[in-house]
Amino acid sequence: MNETLEKLSTCILEGDSEAAPGLVQQALDDGVVPKTILDEGMVVGMNEVGDRFRRGDMFVPEVLMSADAMQSGLEILRPELVSSGVKLIGKVVLGTVQGDLHDIGKNLVGMMCEGAGFEVIDLGFNQKPEAFIDAVKEHQPDLVGMSALLTTTMRAMGHTIKSLEEAGLREQVKVMVGGAPVDQAFADRIGADGYGSNAVAGSDLAKRLVGAG
Amino acid sequence: MQVKKTNFTVNATPRFSVLTEDEIEQIYFSALSVLYETGVRVYDQEGVDVAHAGGAIVEDTTEDSSLVKIPPWMVDKALSTLPRKVVVIGPDRKHRMELFKDQVYFGAGSDTPFTIDPKSGERRRATYEDVKNFARLAQALPNIDFHMSLGIVQDRAVGTYDRWQYLAMLEGTTKPINITAVDLDGLNDQLEMAYIRLGGKEEWRKGPIFSLYIEPVSPLSHSEEVIQKLLFSADNEIPFVYTPCPLAGATSPTTLAGTAVQALTESLFGIVLAQIRKPGAPMIIGGLMSNMDMQTTVYCYGSPEMALLSAAYTEITKWLGVPMYETAGCSDSKMFDAQAAMEATINIATAALVGGNMIHDVGYLEQGLTSSPELMVAANEIIDMVKRILRGIPTTDADLALPVMDSVGPGGHFLEHDHTYKRFKHEIWQPQLIDRQNFESWEMSGSKTFKDRVHERVLEILEAEHEPLMEDKMFAEIKRICELADERHKDEELDLDMFGPG
Ligand code: B12
Repeated sequence: MNETLEKLSTCILEGDSEAAPGLVQQALDDGVVPKTILDEGMVVGMNEVGDRFRRGDMFVPEVLMSADAMQSGLEILRPELVSSGVKLIGKVVLGTVQGDLHDIGKNLVGMMCEGAGFEVIDLGFNQKPEAFIDAVKEHQPDLVGMSALLTTTMRAMGHTIKSLEEAGLREQVKVMVGGAPVDQAFADRIGADGYGSNAVAGSDLAKRLVGAG
Repeated sequence: MQVKKTNFTVNATPRFSVLTEDEIEQIYFSALSVLYETGVRVYDQEGVDVAHAGGAIVEDTTEDSSLVKIPPWMVDKALSTLPRKVVVIGPDRKHRMELFKDQVYFGAGSDTPFTIDPKSGERRRATYEDVKNFARLAQALPNIDFHMSLGIVQDRAVGTYDRWQYLAMLEGTTKPINITAVDLDGLNDQLEMAYIRLGGKEEWRKGPIFSLYIEPVSPLSHSEEVIQKLLFSADNEIPFVYTPCPLAGATSPTTLAGTAVQALTESLFGIVLAQIRKPGAPMIIGGLMSNMDMQTTVYCYGSPEMALLSAAYTEITKWLGVPMYETAGCSDSKMFDAQAAMEATINIATAALVGGNMIHDVGYLEQGLTSSPELMVAANEIIDMVKRILRGIPTTDADLALPVMDSVGPGGHFLEHDHTYKRFKHEIWQPQLIDRQNFESWEMSGSKTFKDRVHERVLEILEAEHEPLMEDKMFAEIKRICELADERHKDEELDLDMFGPG
């Protein structure tokens, strides 16, 4: 393996966001193909992060540092990937639904998706269906992720999916939902495409929904 | 009597302490710095206006919120009118909580989406009947002093669940209740319900039958919903809990001292606002503060950090002179098992020893997502055991028992002694569910585990005959408020059955 790619993967594993862009640039300067930089450098590092996390050898703050490093490298790499015709893994519009102020779970899902290479547009908390509609129109995401921690605001997930349908946008996105009182049965009832019970399950689900997992 | 000693101190109860006064002051003055220099974000215009009129600095106003900074003198002023004692009395006018320094009361937690079925042991969505059953457990268990809804009613309209829960609890208990409210309308309705239960507003003024649970949003934010509830409570003489839920490492600093500073800042803002609005408004602060588990990302309800932090915060509230909303009797386990009993024991003992006032969340499993009748019944026994420890070891002459020893002398025994006969019942704690038989007797009585015995006790309480606590007419009148609320809010419901079968 190219030495720079090896360094890059270690740098992701160690969560060094300062070094990541430079290493990506160096690999590009060395003439490594953008897709190879992603697959054999960054993703290798991130997969190791995932494995260690699952084994209990790495913890959330460390994983998030790695996800940060991944994103900072991708900022350099993304335009190169695009111009060389590589399809990016995807874009997620994410938000906590109307009436709901719980946002830390949603933030974690966003950060884990970033770690998986997604571009994440975080709308914040207490977001009306219209905010999701506008964001879908503006950003053309592959996925819409909604978070609700209350039985009362779980209704807003249903309302938002309905609004997406009424706006004629439902077909162009996959919808994933999550949050402590939500379960698979409810996700099915409101016609969501998937349910994730935690942040890692969420990013795995996102990958699956865009056909990359 | 001739006195022959001096400087003699007595511990009528054991002592337990986490922070010294100097450390408390360090945390308090740090919170004042955060309140003044970092400020808090307030998402409610009326709240911003009240704070501003009271002397606060308001800046960085956006479409939906402002940054509000509170100078230290405003806190001093607020503390000078903040009641040091808060009283909540049940509708029977017997069960009461007198909340102030070192008074210890235990009660349930609220609003869990799931519950463990008392018969089958299955985890499922909670219903009206469950909430009523938990209230009946609370009524029957002597160490439960107040109650909260151990389950979200999910077989009624979703957006008005708070009224139905309150009704279910009124059906099951006459102990003081700490309610939750979906919104201001829900609070208003429950206040009306309480007036009916009590026979009018004047009765309420003589002793409110519920307090309200309000939570500011960590870090350092106060939503519109929260501020509106606070102002309404101050206006209507509703005692309220103003308790942030910071999550160390996620929504507050990972260090426990940092989390305490932030939580205190959040509560102090509530104190200031309420005291400007209505000097003397009764408040309880606290209380739910813990760490994020960095493997699973859950909010820990059974960690040593939760118990320790809550204890430290209790000491801060004692120093401030405001009643404390503590947290204990809860666990991260998924069922009532050894882990649940272990975690609940640790946090109950810590909360009681430090002197938390309104100690809530008894019966919580799975980080507050599931309620357990078994944990509640077991906690009653754990609390009983801890209360024995609270009684300490008096060392009066009668306790030291020198003449008794003298009369028995070396050899001999104390079993037949009058001293034993008169004092053993008070001195030695007698368990009800804990088993102390020898192996043979235990085997003969069915080889039951602690869990088996707890389970039987749950069913025994729930299956016992019971008289209704309210007359039919009163019940119907209160229920009418719930039905009218459903009618008013029906457009918000989804046109599908969210939780029903299939
Ligand atoms: C912290 C907390 C708060 C804080 C939130 C602060 C913040 N900045 O987020 C505050 C104090 C504001 C709060 C307020 C309230 N809360 Co609250 N809160 C909690 C608590 C204790 C922990 C939540 C948490 O942060 N967990 C840690 C995070 C990381 O986990 P998570 O959010 O579940 O997210 C994970 C997964 O669910 C999943 N996930 C989440 N979203 C998504 C989205 C997608 C797409 C995917 C795939 C996955 C996914 O991945 C995440 C990471 O692993 C829970 C109890 C609990 N165990 O959930 C109650 C809880 C959710 N709250 C509850 C209640 C009742 C309330 C209040 C209504 C209280 C009141 N009466 O005023 C208010 C409502 C405010 C509002 N309008 O939103 C109830 C829910 C009841 C219900 N109706 O269902 C709970 C269950 C506690 C309880 N039993 O009372 N709360």
